Amino acid sequence: MRRATIRIALSAAALVALAALPVRALAQVAMGVDSANGCLACHAAQREAAAVGVHSQHGVTCVSCHGGNAGARALPAAHQGSFIGSPNKLQTAQLCGSCHSDPNRMREYGLPTGQLAQFRTSKHGQLLFGEHNTDAPTCTDCHGTHIIYPPYDARSRVYPTNIPATCARCHSDTKLMAKYHLRTDQLDQFKNSAHGVALFQQQNFAAPTCIACHGAHSALPPTGPEVASVCGQCHALVDQAFESGPHGIASERGKLHGCLGCHQNHSTERVAIDTIGATCDRCHASNSPAHQMGVDLQRSISQASRDIASAREAVDEMAREGRQVGYYRFRYQSALTYYKQIAQAQHSLDLSRVNDLARKVSSVSVDLNDAASTARDDRWEHKLLLAPVWFLSLSAVVLAWLALRALRKTDSTGRDG
Amino acid sequence: MLGRAWAATTAWSRRFWEDLKASTDASLLAILRFVGLLYGRIDTRLPIDQAFRKSLNHRLSRYAGWRQAFGGITYLLFMVLVVTGVLLSFYYRPSAEEAYQSIQHVVSGVTMGWLIRDAHVWGANLIVIAALVHMGRVFFDASYKPPRETNWLVGLLLLFVIFAFGATGYLLPWDQWSYWTVTEGLSVLGHVPLVGGALVEILRGDPLVSGATLSRFFAIHVILLPWLALALLVLHFTLVRKHGIAPPRSPDARDVGADDEAGVPFFPHHFLRSLIVGVLVLTLVITAAALYPRDVAAPADPAHIPESLRSTWIVADVSRALFYYLGPWGFAGFVLLGLVLVLLPLFDRSPERRLRKRPIVAGVGVAFFLGFAIAWAAGWQLRSTPVAISGELTPVTQPLAVPGPTLPQLKPAPQPTPGTGVAR
Repeated sequence: MRRATIRIALSAAALVALAALPVRALAQVAMGVDSANGCLACHAAQREAAAVGVHSQHGVTCVSCHGGNAGARALPAAHQGSFIGSPNKLQTAQLCGSCHSDPNRMREYGLPTGQLAQFRTSKHGQLLFGEHNTDAPTCTDCHGTHIIYPPYDARSRVYPTNIPATCARCHSDTKLMAKYHLRTDQLDQFKNSAHGVALFQQQNFAAPTCIACHGAHSALPPTGPEVASVCGQCHALVDQAFESGPHGIASERGKLHGCLGCHQNHSTERVAIDTIGATCDRCHASNSPAHQMGVDLQRSISQASRDIASAREAVDEMAREGRQVGYYRFRYQSALTYYKQIAQAQHSLDLSRVNDLARKVSSVSVDLNDAASTARDDRWEHKLLLAPVWFLSLSAVVLAWLALRALRKTDSTGRDG
Repeated sequence: MLGRAWAATTAWSRRFWEDLKASTDASLLAILRFVGLLYGRIDTRLPIDQAFRKSLNHRLSRYAGWRQAFGGITYLLFMVLVVTGVLLSFYYRPSAEEAYQSIQHVVSGVTMGWLIRDAHVWGANLIVIAALVHMGRVFFDASYKPPRETNWLVGLLLLFVIFAFGATGYLLPWDQWSYWTVTEGLSVLGHVPLVGGALVEILRGDPLVSGATLSRFFAIHVILLPWLALALLVLHFTLVRKHGIAPPRSPDARDVGADDEAGVPFFPHHFLRSLIVGVLVLTLVITAAALYPRDVAAPADPAHIPESLRSTWIVADVSRALFYYLGPWGFAGFVLLGLVLVLLPLFDRSPERRLRKRPIVAGVGVAFFLGFAIAWAAGWQLRSTPVAISGELTPVTQPLAVPGPTLPQLKPAPQPTPGTGVAR
């Protein structure tokens, strides 16, 4: 009886104590919200941002960007003081820069601090900062607003395979791009290009995306003389050859858009071997020495391409017959190296070097075809074996048949008799 | 002096020839005796001469003729496979590291190695045809009826042994075709209800087809199956000898059993026929081996799926065609049809041998043998490409030249389209 009375008294005391607590704080406790992110009690839609993304993990809360008082228990108090509401695009760039340009704050994360300065030099930055043009993107347009993932996270808009689509959000918008006289087919061209195939189909993250040629925060199209160097960041040997040849000099003088004189930028297709001469004719007259150079290059390269294919076929043929082709494969690889060097040498328009390399390819190809031909002779000898085999077997069959016939005759005469 | 030597030689040669001709027994015995194989101390202790004479003079059933040749052809091809197999095993090395190189060595380094290897490959194909034709002859002539029903079952077991020989031998070259065709085959076997999974685990010995699988297949191919085949062959031949040749389909034909006084002696009548057939078969094997050698594909590579697989064995062609055109249920149905043939002698026991009088049996037989032939004709033109679907390798077969009904094909998992999965 006494124990029951004590229990009732304790319960009543607990109820009184609970009733004394402020209702809003009670709601916050029930929702698991702490006072640092009190904003989420009302801004429920952003609750996920408080738990997901790189900023929430490193203590960046609502008030870090929006100001205000996250600990306040009533609306007016929360939206007072340093509260700035939703920052506009310009404010956003400056806001992000307030931390990301500060070496002391970024040191901990090993992040660079030049993004804002770079952004100011880009066409996007020039429009935003110079002309207050809000068509230009700001940091959040590419990186996301409340939930921001690091670039190595596949959910990030700036993850390598997502970058082309992120740029295309604006650059495929025909209405928007028409204002700036820009094309909108870059993404489609890129997807089918060697770079796009490597990135999307082969998941090769060494393949360049938009930012590799245009820059990320400092995005701008490379100018004419810059093109060859930009491509040469990866295609170093080709660039070296190009710069040393007459086209490289023309490019430096601004008479040629570097690589774009013969190749496309976003679709990056190769010049087909049988169109090399025609490509030269796009700029050079058909009676010029340059035209003749194109024709000679085309002849030499197409011969080398036939030679390398026939060398390959010769090795494959020997392999199919079960020959040990390790040595021949090694020779083929050496021919392939020469063949690939032709691709570099042709960019310097050094015809004698191209011819020299083509001759080396041809020489290996002749050797390999000779070896394959010897193997073919051996196979022919195998077939020659059939002559005695057929002679002996047919003779045996004929003799046996005659003997059988003679036996039958004997049997029948025996029976008749 | 010289003249005397010449005269002695010619006299000796004449005597040799006369002895051959005038021998009272079969001429073969005369030759054997002449070269000293049957004379001497051995013959006085063992009645070899007598045994030979008995065998050679054995009178075969009067019904024995060209129609019965296919059983003998199958046995001859089996012996070709045994001999070439033993010769191959002198050079072949059953390990994942050395198998491919040893085949290259056999084909290009060993004298006549190419012939030994390709005769083995062609023998393995032709024996399937010969065994099936032999089986068809026995089936349509109703030779499986009592008292020969046990031998029909033994014959079918031998056919399965031939299939098992081919299936296990297929992996041994250890090139891309053999590796991936076996991977494909084991993947299909794994779908057999109840036993499939366990059977595949035992046969493969590893999560992937690997050196462990190669060792197992080699052991089965050169140790287990030859002994099994030998035991079954002894039983098969003993039963043939015991019951004799079955009578033909004519209603007047009488079952004469094993001893037929009106039959023909084995030597020389049947021997000559066997000689003709045997020589022609051996010539066919050598010709096929010289004209159509099996290519050596790239070495087996578990990390690289080849663009297309070529089958070089009839049974693989047939199963591939059945799968492609009829789906797994069609394949299962065909196997069931084969099993019906196994059980046939249990139901069809009447002495009636004429085809017209047993239409159901004839229908089942025609369906099986014609189906096999059609599937083979369609299958050898199919190329299959294994594709990875959700981590498991599954075969997708593509027709090369044959137009056929389009069946729902397994497709690879859709690739994520670029640009999706962007952060909010």
